[in-house]
Amino acid sequence: MEKVLTKKFFPKWVEKLKSYKIYAPVKENEHWSYTNIDDPENIDLDYPLTTLSPKKIIFPQREIFLEFTASNEGGTEVKEILPAEEPSVIFGVKPCEAIALTLTDKVFSGDIKDPYYWKRRNQTTLIGISCNTPPSPNCFCVSVNGSPYSKEGLDILMTDIGDKYYIEILTKKGEKLLNLAKGLFKSPTANDKKNTEQIHIESKKKIKRQIENIKKIPPKLKEMFDSPFWDEESMSCLQCGICTYLCPTCHCFDINDEIASSSPIKGKRIRTWDTCQFPDFTMHSSGHNPRPDKASRLRQRILHKFQYFVDRYQNYQCTGCGRCISFCPVGIDLIKVLDKVSDYGL
Amino acid sequence: MVNLEDLKKEARQILKDGKAKYIIGYKKGANDLMPTPAFITKPEDAEDLVWNPACFHNLTHFLVDEKRRKAKEKEPDERPVGIVVKGCDSRAIITLLQEKFLNREDVYILGVSCENTGVLDEKKLAKKIKGKKVKKVEFDEKNNFIITTPDGKTKIPAEEILAEKCIECKANFPVIYDVLFGEKVERNIDNPFKSLEKIESLPREERWTFWKEQLDKCIRCYACRSVCPMCYCDECVADTINFAVTADTTAEEKAQKIKWVEKSPVSSENFAYHLVRAIHLAGRCIDCGECERACPMDIPIRLLNKKLEKEAKELFDYDAGFDPEQPPLVSCFKDEDPEDFIR
Amino acid sequence: MDYNTYIPKLAKIAQIKEEVGGVRPIKTFRTQFLKNNDFSFKCGQSAMLSVFGKGESMISISSSPLIKDYLQFSILKMGRVTSSLHEMLLGDIIGIRGPYGNGFPVEKWKGKNLIFIGGGIGLAPIWSVLNTALGNRKDYGDLTLIYGARTSKDLVFKEELEELRKKMTVHLSVDVEEPDWKEFVGFVPQNVTDKKPSQKNAITITCGPPIMIKFVIKALEDLGFKDEQIYTTVENKMKCGVGKCGRCNIGMHYVCQDGPVYSWAELKKLPQEY
Repeated sequence: MEKVLTKKFFPKWVEKLKSYKIYAPVKENEHWSYTNIDDPENIDLDYPLTTLSPKKIIFPQREIFLEFTASNEGGTEVKEILPAEEPSVIFGVKPCEAIALTLTDKVFSGDIKDPYYWKRRNQTTLIGISCNTPPSPNCFCVSVNGSPYSKEGLDILMTDIGDKYYIEILTKKGEKLLNLAKGLFKSPTANDKKNTEQIHIESKKKIKRQIENIKKIPPKLKEMFDSPFWDEESMSCLQCGICTYLCPTCHCFDINDEIASSSPIKGKRIRTWDTCQFPDFTMHSSGHNPRPDKASRLRQRILHKFQYFVDRYQNYQCTGCGRCISFCPVGIDLIKVLDKVSDYGL
Repeated sequence: MVNLEDLKKEARQILKDGKAKYIIGYKKGANDLMPTPAFITKPEDAEDLVWNPACFHNLTHFLVDEKRRKAKEKEPDERPVGIVVKGCDSRAIITLLQEKFLNREDVYILGVSCENTGVLDEKKLAKKIKGKKVKKVEFDEKNNFIITTPDGKTKIPAEEILAEKCIECKANFPVIYDVLFGEKVERNIDNPFKSLEKIESLPREERWTFWKEQLDKCIRCYACRSVCPMCYCDECVADTINFAVTADTTAEEKAQKIKWVEKSPVSSENFAYHLVRAIHLAGRCIDCGECERACPMDIPIRLLNKKLEKEAKELFDYDAGFDPEQPPLVSCFKDEDPEDFIR
Repeated sequence: MDYNTYIPKLAKIAQIKEEVGGVRPIKTFRTQFLKNNDFSFKCGQSAMLSVFGKGESMISISSSPLIKDYLQFSILKMGRVTSSLHEMLLGDIIGIRGPYGNGFPVEKWKGKNLIFIGGGIGLAPIWSVLNTALGNRKDYGDLTLIYGARTSKDLVFKEELEELRKKMTVHLSVDVEEPDWKEFVGFVPQNVTDKKPSQKNAITITCGPPIMIKFVIKALEDLGFKDEQIYTTVENKMKCGVGKCGRCNIGMHYVCQDGPVYSWAELKKLPQEY
């Protein structure tokens, strides 16, 4: 189903969604991030990339699994703490970020589903905005089977066509939001449709960066496991967690017990994000570390994203948002590394 | 002005003569603005070296990597490592020498003077050129930065886009070096702690609110710690594992490692991590500003370290990173030290 | 409500046995769930044991699935969680969630001769399949155990080993000479070469320190065993146990789900990063 919404009516639509918790990109001191907003006037859909993707709303950096108490008198009790019932709407989701969520969906499904992830995922409606111009100089979504107007993973896709938004309703969840403010939406004219198509076609051409020969990369990486290539490429790596924490597809996490009191024992079991780039990620209690150096950890990140994930889920674990490139403090550039991989040994 | 060709020539010669294992410097990065750290082993690759107002990185922390690497080798190459340093970076080397973490023979220092300017601030530059793509940045003799965009070259007075740390710079040319490139220009800074003025003027509750808001953004990526040359501890307060574990470490020792800071990025833990790190850097931080530049969440963490730098100066007349013979701040005392905090 | 694998079930410690003392102590715990539940598992699977307030640890279940009234875990004291477990007393409560992992393919092995090769604590993960084979004796051919440790004090299941001699071939070893030791002196791989087990219709299951496994596999290859006949278990640091936290992977496999049991033929194909 397709509609159009005049831009000046957009805040009115958001007002009708009061029963939902609304998230949208907000700027504070030059820093953009998805924040819970109360005033629809604060939503600016014409924004560059946020630092953290909307993944943080569905898979937050910290969440509680369970609470426990243990004492000699009271015995031991364990209480499951599921995420609160909080239907949410995220505005301004870039297509690459929505595709990223379909990838994390694969990880958190399987024979054993992750109930915490799915509770939030199922109660969140994603409203995307197509990228008429690349939001980052390092965008390369097209190389990894994405596009600036991809509908995958979204409930609604909006396109800015000047004084209106072109609205494509993709799922029942999306339709529900529209029905709450039916009167604001109109049917698109033939011109509207043409404009949108034109903007979409142009937007793809504006993507400046690309991975050469990405199809060559998974088999090439398999051959390169023992290569000294990784020592050279990882020389300047700082072993911080920026690339992985900012990545919309990364999903590694840690589980720790945090105690509030030790007698009686009272505490929570907490899940937090973790990263394969930290030295202690794979370190055994004995001190043995299967990935003891920067080279093996960089190799893990690249191979996981472009070989292992492909073997397991038939998708690259990357949506081309370019955050890892833009924010790396030492300028390690994923695209350049991958181009070197596809040329390696030639 | 610094003559880049002289720098390349020196680097080439040292590598030809085998006087250094390799040289850590700056080379062109994947994008046109920011150079990337280079590890040059072959004399002909010295041609890759660059020097421009975007040479932000404090390359000194790679000396920490080198030390760790050497410790694992059976027959280590004892030759020094060559390193290109700015004034602030050279102070980091001095701090590492003070703490006996490095020996003077371990480094061959190619010092580069920032003369009257320094490095630029990416955000200030982006605002100035209103989102145009940068193709090149250069120094000029008249204290301007020359910025090349698709529209051509623009001259911007350096002071308009200089990094905050450069505005209050205490060492615009290296204070320790084997070779120096560029002139030792005397610069007078009227207020070396100007960046603290705004926040120091706020009442206590507002300062608390400010820091709570800022530190709530922290995602504990530890980029600030990873980029800092002085954060070299194998057993860090922030980690739950001690990296200095060997086959002989007993289970009790491992079990008894205290979890000072939880992994959760909540206010209490973020404050604990940042404040402890700032205190552990008191008298050691030389204000290279890398922690703030690396932070993806735009937290002004440099101010925390700057405040302690001011305290060290005012209370103990201590300046970090100028004299390799000077003992570390927290391991020495003078009879005149103020005692009003001892009751 | 959807099943939440992360919530442990409570169990009490019903029996504690000190297997090995000293600096690297090993204790065997038998646990019983507080509430009846349908916890069933295959040989070779593990469970995540919770010490509330300290954390969790993935430990292989060393009792056979044929035993219904307790689960047995043999635990080497190594770090925070295992130290806490070692301090526990009878009746103390822990959490258990699982079972996780792929288990040994015991159905495929019916009719074959089984050779169990273990070193130190490595006997624990294969104890389960060894006892299952004994429990279903007629389903399997000859059963042999080749097991060794640093010293005789470091052998686990010492009393059970003596009982075992009545039911199957048992070859023990210690690394260095010691008084009153009548059996083989040397490393476990050397004992394998010494005892020359036949590869005909045989499957070997080996578990122990990584270096021992490496040389055992070499010794077996020298005796003519094919890669498909050699099975081992791999261990890695684990947190979630269900292939989501990303930590325990070897290549595209998650050891907690696709392992820990691998034939050498399968393990060879994976990146050697464990």
